[in-house]
Amino acid sequence: MNRCLFSIVVLLICFSLNLLAQENESSLVKWNGYLQTDNRLRLEKDNDFSWNEYRLDLKTEVKPQEKARFYSEVWLRTFGFPSVQTTNDLIDKDKISPLNLELREAYVDLYGFLFDNLDICIGKQRIAWGTADKLNPTDNLNPDDLEDIWDFGRHLGSDGLRISYYLKDWKFESVYIPIFTPAVLPYGDWSSALFPSIELPSGLTLGKLTDNITIPKNDLSESSVVGVKILKNFFGYDLSLSYVYGRDDLPLTKKITLSPTTTPGEVDITSELVYPRMNIIGMDMAGSISNVGIWAEAAMFFPEEVKMTKDLSQLGMGKQESVALEDKPYIKYVFGADYTFKNGIYINGQYLHGFIHERGDDNLKDYFMFGLEKKFFNDKLKITPICGGIEIKDFKDIENNYAYILSPEIVYYPIDNAELTLGVRLIDGKNTTTFGKLKDKDELYFKAKYSF
Amino acid sequence: MKKCILSSMLILSIIASLTQVWAQEKQLTASQILSKVDDVVNAPKDQDLKIKLILIDKEGKEETRELVMFQKGSDKRMVKFTSPASQKGIAFLSLPNDIMYLYLPAFKKTRRIASHIKNTKFAGTDFTYEDMEAKRYSEKYIPELLKRDESHYILQLKPKEGIVTDFSKLVMWIRTDNFYPTKIEFYDKGNNLYKVMTREKIEKVGEYWTSKESEMEDLKAKHKTKMILLDVKFDSGLSDEIFTERYLIR
Repeated sequence: MNRCLFSIVVLLICFSLNLLAQENESSLVKWNGYLQTDNRLRLEKDNDFSWNEYRLDLKTEVKPQEKARFYSEVWLRTFGFPSVQTTNDLIDKDKISPLNLELREAYVDLYGFLFDNLDICIGKQRIAWGTADKLNPTDNLNPDDLEDIWDFGRHLGSDGLRISYYLKDWKFESVYIPIFTPAVLPYGDWSSALFPSIELPSGLTLGKLTDNITIPKNDLSESSVVGVKILKNFFGYDLSLSYVYGRDDLPLTKKITLSPTTTPGEVDITSELVYPRMNIIGMDMAGSISNVGIWAEAAMFFPEEVKMTKDLSQLGMGKQESVALEDKPYIKYVFGADYTFKNGIYINGQYLHGFIHERGDDNLKDYFMFGLEKKFFNDKLKITPICGGIEIKDFKDIENNYAYILSPEIVYYPIDNAELTLGVRLIDGKNTTTFGKLKDKDELYFKAKYSF
Repeated sequence: MKKCILSSMLILSIIASLTQVWAQEKQLTASQILSKVDDVVNAPKDQDLKIKLILIDKEGKEETRELVMFQKGSDKRMVKFTSPASQKGIAFLSLPNDIMYLYLPAFKKTRRIASHIKNTKFAGTDFTYEDMEAKRYSEKYIPELLKRDESHYILQLKPKEGIVTDFSKLVMWIRTDNFYPTKIEFYDKGNNLYKVMTREKIEKVGEYWTSKESEMEDLKAKHKTKMILLDVKFDSGLSDEIFTERYLIR
């Protein structure tokens, strides 16, 4: 594997140098990118490092002619920690220093294709829908990339075709993604926070937990994701209406089988997970009232019903049937505003109903996200003393159903293209909430980034 | 002879009187002067500019940015950064009726920006988003002629009612020979002078007057930004399509 990666890296470097050489000769090919380090340290207990990432981002852009453009973005990362357990592992560089190569995007844009007003984009691409700030209920075409849960709004690119048609100030967009791709789940402790824990019958303890995921069959009807969107400016407000025929990209448990082990009172659990089909109607708007920026976004999800079976027959308790996801529509929405005061202080606030992982009308929680920042010394220093979110699970009993995150941050730009970030994430709240489950995971983080 | 002298004097005094009347007619009002400024500054049908911005701090340290700017008429402008790497691809579109969009390539998204951002620094320079807008001064300001000398008109511009701006007034120096503004002082709401823009190397490119070097100085921060035109093309027939979100993301 390492040899393979090494070969790819060598090829990549050769390709980049070749591109650089070409760039000097003509400006058709351009490349740029950045190097970023990201380290996080837990503030509790033994001050464990919770994140270790060194990322080389390489972007390539080729414009051979006015009506065509190629773009790609690749991440080469050392990510994670050494996982050496035996001396044999010491000859495996993947275990000593985990290396990760990822093609984020690679697509071709053709402008004025067939008709002057028609653009198409083919390839692995990010299609970012929605006007809200990073938390977008209508952004459902690309799978969520929740690897770093703090990098709100990060999605994987999808292999697909996007067609955009412009008619006066109308824009019509349609997207076809042939193969469904599931979301990337969070690294570290966050997966447990995002998904409900399995409740065992009283008196039983958990032995081994295994699961099987059923990916939709790779055929036209099961695997395809389709989206259409219409955009227009009405009276100074940008408005859009969208529809997506896709799937929930986070798995949902459909069946749990409990089987006894040789240890009395212990059971192994096997779960089966599926990706339910979803029809999603979305709308968004952006504009301003007076000189305050405003935006709103809502998505109505029409899920297929997923029945849940709890198979306790091996324990002599039969099977229990319930509904994991009702086929009743539910709405996730967000609205927010931002403003810059005369003294340069920028504030931003958003109210969100329904976080990324939440499904079903009864399970949607409320979140208020906020931020305040100011730049100093001719934008050399950016201080964000207030940034974070409040989660309210139940407004009728806030005292026992709240959590908050505070994430103050300082960014220093010592020279052009360089930025150093130091921040902290402080989490507290009740265990009943998503964030509250992570209240002992406060962390300090430091990032260094250099763009080239 | 005496009759001849009297006749000549009469003719001369008639000519002098007519000249005075003609000169008075030629005495332009502040609004006419500002309108001529707008006509001169926005004279080209379209502009395709390659610009270098040099940011100079109070210790004299310099940082450079490069961008391309397209303008059509007096109310459509598109600006796209080409360097430094950390800002490459960031693009700003200014349209009539205070509609502005910002494209941030890192997020793959065009963001509608509200007018509160207009008086914040544009990408760390001493120019604000408002400075980067395409505009006709006469549509936004009420002018008053403060002074006129051999070489310059000096106008005071106060924002019209309903115009969102952080400036209480501008004072503009305008060349009398070609109506090109050479200096603009910006006063804050407390009536304190806080920014000065000067235009140098004013040359005729084709049919149009243009300043090949200008400088914006923030007096409070003791920081300035020099804007140098590296390449200038006028009336190259820019398409309206450039001034759309469609082009912004390209």
